[in-house]
Amino acid sequence: MATTQPPAPPNSTEDKPQTTPEVVQQANEVQQDGRPEAAKPIVPASVFVNSEPIREDQVSNAVKFLSHPKVRGSPVIYRRSFLERKGLTKEEIDEAFRRVPDPPPSSQPASLNQDGQVKPSSSVQTQATMQTPPPVAAAPTGIVSAGTLAQRQFHWYHAVFAVGVLAASGAGTAVLIKNAIIPRLKSWIRKVVLEEENENAKKSDAKPSLAEEAAAAAKAAAAAAADVARASQEMLSSKNEERRRFEEFMNLIDVQVQEMKSMSNAIRKLEGQADSSGRTFVDHEDHRVSASSTKQSYANGRVDADVRSVRSASPPASAEPPHPKSYMEIMAMVQRGEKPSNIREINDMPPNPNQQPSNPRIAPRTKPWEAQNGSSQVLQSQGSGEGLIQKVQDNGLNYLVDDESSTPWWQRKNVRITEVENEDELKAGPYGVKTNEPPVQRTWVPPQPPPVAMPEAAEAIRRPKSSALKEAAKQEELAEDQSVARPLEATDELNRITKISESAGAVEINGGFSSMNSTEIQEQEQSYSEN
Amino acid sequence: MPVFKTPFNGYSVKFSPFYESRLAVATAQNFGILGNGRVHVIDLSPSSPVINELIAFDTADGVYDVAWSESHDSVLVAAIADGSIKIYDTALPPHSNPLRSLKEHAREVHGLDYNPTRRDSFLSASWDDSVKLWTLDRPGSLRTFREHAYCVYSASWNPKHADVFASASGDCTVRIWDVREPGSTMIIPGHEHEILSCDWNKYDDCLIASASVDKSIKIWDVRNYRVPVSVLNGHGYAVRKIKFSPHRRNLIVSCSYDMTVCLWDFMVEDALVGRYDHHTEFAVGVDLSVLVDGLMASTGWDELVYVWQQGMDPRA
Repeated sequence: MATTQPPAPPNSTEDKPQTTPEVVQQANEVQQDGRPEAAKPIVPASVFVNSEPIREDQVSNAVKFLSHPKVRGSPVIYRRSFLERKGLTKEEIDEAFRRVPDPPPSSQPASLNQDGQVKPSSSVQTQATMQTPPPVAAAPTGIVSAGTLAQRQFHWYHAVFAVGVLAASGAGTAVLIKNAIIPRLKSWIRKVVLEEENENAKKSDAKPSLAEEAAAAAKAAAAAAADVARASQEMLSSKNEERRRFEEFMNLIDVQVQEMKSMSNAIRKLEGQADSSGRTFVDHEDHRVSASSTKQSYANGRVDADVRSVRSASPPASAEPPHPKSYMEIMAMVQRGEKPSNIREINDMPPNPNQQPSNPRIAPRTKPWEAQNGSSQVLQSQGSGEGLIQKVQDNGLNYLVDDESSTPWWQRKNVRITEVENEDELKAGPYGVKTNEPPVQRTWVPPQPPPVAMPEAAEAIRRPKSSALKEAAKQEELAEDQSVARPLEATDELNRITKISESAGAVEINGGFSSMNSTEIQEQEQSYSEN
Repeated sequence: MPVFKTPFNGYSVKFSPFYESRLAVATAQNFGILGNGRVHVIDLSPSSPVINELIAFDTADGVYDVAWSESHDSVLVAAIADGSIKIYDTALPPHSNPLRSLKEHAREVHGLDYNPTRRDSFLSASWDDSVKLWTLDRPGSLRTFREHAYCVYSASWNPKHADVFASASGDCTVRIWDVREPGSTMIIPGHEHEILSCDWNKYDDCLIASASVDKSIKIWDVRNYRVPVSVLNGHGYAVRKIKFSPHRRNLIVSCSYDMTVCLWDFMVEDALVGRYDHHTEFAVGVDLSVLVDGLMASTGWDELVYVWQQGMDPRA
């Protein structure tokens, strides 16, 4: 693929050892200097891949986003899509997903999640929560000692230590409460109960009043919320009403326009035109709003099952483009479940599933960018050899000036330089030479050719080319230097001869047939000698 | 400049990479909502500005896109709205067509792109959120690339690196893939709205353009994709399709729901270099010829296909 020496010999044997190997090698070297693409096969993979490091701030934002309870309820694909749209790379998104696992055990302080860590700490926690004095007393001390002993492994033991301290404090307070505070509480409660009997009436009053107040407050809040909801609903409904009225208005206008259309249709029919489809009407003004109203449903482009099933081929534009009137009619029909009447039943299945495609009659052509940039993937399409054929502007001019009918109308340009392409054999036009604009100028400048009878040369080019092309089509990728080398030596040999022969030589070279090359050149020389 | 009238609404037009006067047109009945479809192969007559139809293939469902094979001069591939991909050969008699019907996508196939360097494989972009890789000779897809969260509208091969391609999706991202890798290699969250089309620069393999419902076209350099190289504004509505010129380094053509076809030079301050408003409905398909510099074609929902030379008036 690259323009290095090793692939060159096999390629050259394939194509044509017609030219001397030294010239080829020289050209190779020249090309190698000129092209820094030797390492290209490795580079592309890195160019089209993210090489940015993971941005911690983006990842932490993503983690916050993913930890949100509402986000947790949404499908994973939408979470990923959201993060992608925010500009996170794949690696950052994966890292965020890793940090926020789906089942939430997240009670770990500080350190990264490790499954091994979760289990011992949870077991310690269950121990602590049981709170029976003997094991509690033993456990904290055990844990504390364990914690103090092994502090090198930061994460695991740190957490265990912290949990142990918590458990110890919890146990300690539990013990305290049991032993010291509860008796005091009990005595206090007895006092209070005695007082309570006296104040029962007042308390019962106070509580219900408290409850009443709370209830009243809640009712007031609910009422306020209901008011707000009502108000917003009213606003919505008024908006809807307005919109409906507007739509009605537009519909009326539509109706009027339709009547006008039908009238004009009738007129046309009278004039004898059979114009059946309603689609030829082009009205922009009247359907804009009706389009917008129905477009609202897919304005945001999100997954709406009904809409998708109806194939919203039109874009969900934030600014709704005016759809043709009949488009809206058909959409409405389909949404109602009706089928437009002009659909036929067509069987478009292959009649013979094993049918082979016909043999190609033309070899693939070089792309203009391939030839110009001299990429190594050039020249599978040696046939036309557009890229390497130099064309003097004179010839283009000649075509333009001399014989207008020779160039197809689509090639006539206002610009001086025309691109005249070689056609397939069916089109035996007089134009046979190709131009590539800008031409591939690497090592030599084409001399001004004398005006020659191109057609013969073109024919000469084309004849052997057809067979050459077929062979060429089978080849994979040629080193670019090969093709460039050829014109070099071709030029040397055919310096007197016109461009066409040179280009023909190049074509042949691209085509990769040495034998053809020589015969080509000879033929052209003959033709020119005849001239 | 000649016009070709199609019975159905136009969806896509593509020049043949072999014959400079040949084009394929994808059309769908009833705007592609529901109905039949037809693929037209048309030919430009050299002497007079007339377009002739060489052959047409009817399909049960609308045709959303069409692509010419780069290996066989008579073979073309059609993306059908029922999720299938049909392969046609114009050199075979009509009753032998289609060659194949590849049915794997769960939803409409919206975009097709044939590999211009390897010439043996093509991609299909579908509304079922996936992109599939196919070759002509195999009955099933080679690869399925499923990462987008919404419809994939278009896929485009890199013109230099035969294994790299990009996909544009309604999830507002452009993804760059390498067929040698299992997943996407790069995600460009290019727009705030759906991205309808993407295309690579033919002369600079690291530049890619994306066209979106937000009416803009953005040019990105994949080496620094956080900030676009250029933003092209000027369309009045969503931009439906873009294509980099095969002949000029900085030229982009675009067509939009504002019914115009625009030419841009993104390296220039005032990027809009041409505007053609010949269509009377949405302009949904546009293409530049690989073989003839400056030759362009467009089609739209007004059922017309225009072919003209850059700088000339398509309706002349």
